[in-house]
Amino acid sequence: MINRNRAAILIALILIVAGALCAWLRIKYTLKPAGSQGGRAWRLTYDINLSSTREGKIRIALPDNTPYSHIYRETFSHQGIWVDLLRNKRTQGREASVVSMAGYQRGRFLAHFDIQLKPDQKSKLPPVKEKMTANDRAYYLRTEKYMQINTPGLANILDLLANEQMTKTELLTRIFDYCAENIIKGEKKLFSDAEKTFEHGIGNTLGRARAMVALCRLSKIPARVVAGFILENTQEAQVHHWVEAFSQKKWFSYDPENGYSAQLPITFLPITRDSIDIVRGPDTLGYQPRYSIKRLLASTSSVSSRESRLWNIVDLTRLTPSMQEIVSLILLLPLAALITTIFRNIIGIQTFGTFTPSLIALSFIHADWRTGALVLFIVLAVGILVRLLLNKLQLLMVARLSIILTLAVLCMVLAVSVLDYLNLTPSASAVLLPIVILTMMIERFNIIAEEDGLPNALKIFVTTILVSVCCFLVMKVEMVGRLALIFPEVQLFNVAILLMIGRYSGYRLSEIWRFRDITQIPLK
Amino acid sequence: MVRPHKLPFWSWPSEFRQNGIMGINSRNINLIFPFNPRPIYALCDNKALTKKLCESQHIPAPQTYALIQRFGDIKKSKGLLLDLPGFVIKPTRGAGGRGVLAIANRNGKGFKNTKGELFSLEQIKYHISTILSGLYSLSGHPDQAMVEKLIKPHPAFKGLTVAGTPDIRIVIYKTTPIMSMLRLPTEASQGRANLHQGAAGVGIDLETGTTYGGVLRDRVFDVHPDTGAPLGGVTIPMWKDVLKIATQLSRAIGLQYVGVDVLLDAEDGPLILEANARPGLSIQIANRCGLWQKLNKINLKQGIS
Repeated sequence: MINRNRAAILIALILIVAGALCAWLRIKYTLKPAGSQGGRAWRLTYDINLSSTREGKIRIALPDNTPYSHIYRETFSHQGIWVDLLRNKRTQGREASVVSMAGYQRGRFLAHFDIQLKPDQKSKLPPVKEKMTANDRAYYLRTEKYMQINTPGLANILDLLANEQMTKTELLTRIFDYCAENIIKGEKKLFSDAEKTFEHGIGNTLGRARAMVALCRLSKIPARVVAGFILENTQEAQVHHWVEAFSQKKWFSYDPENGYSAQLPITFLPITRDSIDIVRGPDTLGYQPRYSIKRLLASTSSVSSRESRLWNIVDLTRLTPSMQEIVSLILLLPLAALITTIFRNIIGIQTFGTFTPSLIALSFIHADWRTGALVLFIVLAVGILVRLLLNKLQLLMVARLSIILTLAVLCMVLAVSVLDYLNLTPSASAVLLPIVILTMMIERFNIIAEEDGLPNALKIFVTTILVSVCCFLVMKVEMVGRLALIFPEVQLFNVAILLMIGRYSGYRLSEIWRFRDITQIPLK
Repeated sequence: MVRPHKLPFWSWPSEFRQNGIMGINSRNINLIFPFNPRPIYALCDNKALTKKLCESQHIPAPQTYALIQRFGDIKKSKGLLLDLPGFVIKPTRGAGGRGVLAIANRNGKGFKNTKGELFSLEQIKYHISTILSGLYSLSGHPDQAMVEKLIKPHPAFKGLTVAGTPDIRIVIYKTTPIMSMLRLPTEASQGRANLHQGAAGVGIDLETGTTYGGVLRDRVFDVHPDTGAPLGGVTIPMWKDVLKIATQLSRAIGLQYVGVDVLLDAEDGPLILEANARPGLSIQIANRCGLWQKLNKINLKQGIS
């Protein structure tokens, strides 16, 4: 017969060696400092303070992945506000929708984006292909408050620039040349609308961009102003504006201020194409945005190459930030299972179900823990109440459980509605996961309560929550999730530890307490 | 409650090891995994199967009046129930005494259970239907109901019997009884002889069949928590027969480490209640002795070090 303990140790050792080897290979080949590979990494920081508690919503445009840049890490922290991430309906750009929470005097939105520029032979931005519907076309040809098309001055200028044999591309070049050469660079505080810029022949960055867009639109070339940043080391980054014009089914970029035509340096980071401001909203909210940009010398997780090599499959850091978030959460589940195993097999604490604590922790991370705690309280209260009321009826378990779920859902939806009424809008999606998982836990709770009595069930409930909190605290540490994502091979260590625990035949800590009476009172 | 001993607050694991105390991890890894083949669990978990085995091996067990498997059988059971003086209805796959209804006698108004509560025939039929639909089976799966002869607790346990029937747990390793205890229902355990639910346990000397020691909720205890009667010094009647039928069952069932529960009926003597593939560890506290001490002796005898 094989010695099972020895076999388990052997397999565990093999797993540890394999894991260490994978990690070593990864460090050696994939994690190189960003600078050394010609790629460049930058950190863009948003620090937006809200000083008013009035009702209202502001929208903050966020950077997104582009064909030449990749956000490999982002962190958000906020106080006194509710934040929802969404996408702009027209441009598909990423945005954060921010509502101030009642009861807070001020709010703060702090975000870091670590951006990797992809090394490329051409250091210029290529034009971006896009389909354009008739609606979009009309939208990008319209006249706007500060981009007035129907002024006599503008028509005169276009007459000067255009002639009948000219193609749209040639006309675009001439429009750009005109805006770059004939409009003198003005101070930042100067007027910034298209009409005055042309009238005076002087304009700031925004004025010149708007002037060019107005000219394009008058020539029936769809155009828009882009707001973004030029990546350079600065504590006070200014929003830069440039122009995108649609020609030959592509968006071409122009910067009349710096004289870049059709192609921009890759350090130009577009943020929004739907507005000239990064932060939009009623001024009464008193928001003050500050942006800073820092060059990162080395990065632990850089995009090594644009080539799609097969082993990139095991490089999870290449995924988009939102996907990374989910993947790292999934990768943390085994860690939570390990913690639960330690609690159950070594410490000897009972929990409802094997993975319930892990799932509770997961749901609390997915929602925020306050929403989770609220759901927990409601589900528990409903569960006990229904148990007391329906126990006499002796319903079958599945039916009884479904009643609990129904009532818990009703209470939750009511709570969400009440919070919304009080202008404390929580995100409704955050409620979904906790409610399902906690309702499952109530089932276990009721079984134990029936078998061993309510005090026992409450005891196990408390220990389950205790283990969940431990899992939650570990899963919440950003560094842990980061490591799990960069080094998926740590899961091999996890299995190795679990193998050892699986063959652990020593006493559980709780048994030292349980059997304490035996040794002290010898009877025979 | 009387606590005659000054109880310790702490013991060291090294002291446990000296006394051969078995922990759950050790029980699972060293005994249950190697010695108890998983497929046999079904025999233990289903009381009807256990009883069938007893009958085929001529091991005494409470007489079965009926096994109700389908809802259609409930109506047919009416005549049977009206004929019986006293009976017990229990789910075959219930655990911890859930869903057990013990009817002591019948008068003009209806059936009276052992606690003196009155039940109508309709209520009893409803109880059977809830058993069949799986209300008391842990997984919620449909179950079967057994109608058995009511056990009359042996007069030897007078003063120790409260709200339920005491039973005797015998832990058997490789067909040799190694430890046993008398399990006494209490008010706290609601008449169930389950230590986990608050029943009291008393160690039994395997040689003489006399009780000593005692445990209640994992603490050393010497008197019955409800009646105050001393737990020690009670001699179990027909002790050799109790050990004999328990050993017979362990042989028949094929588990090498098993806890057998035996009832002692005033008329029929020792009867098999059920077998347990994962016997609990509190029996060590009741006996003030570690299970490994006993196991190692047997291993030595059989030449296994």
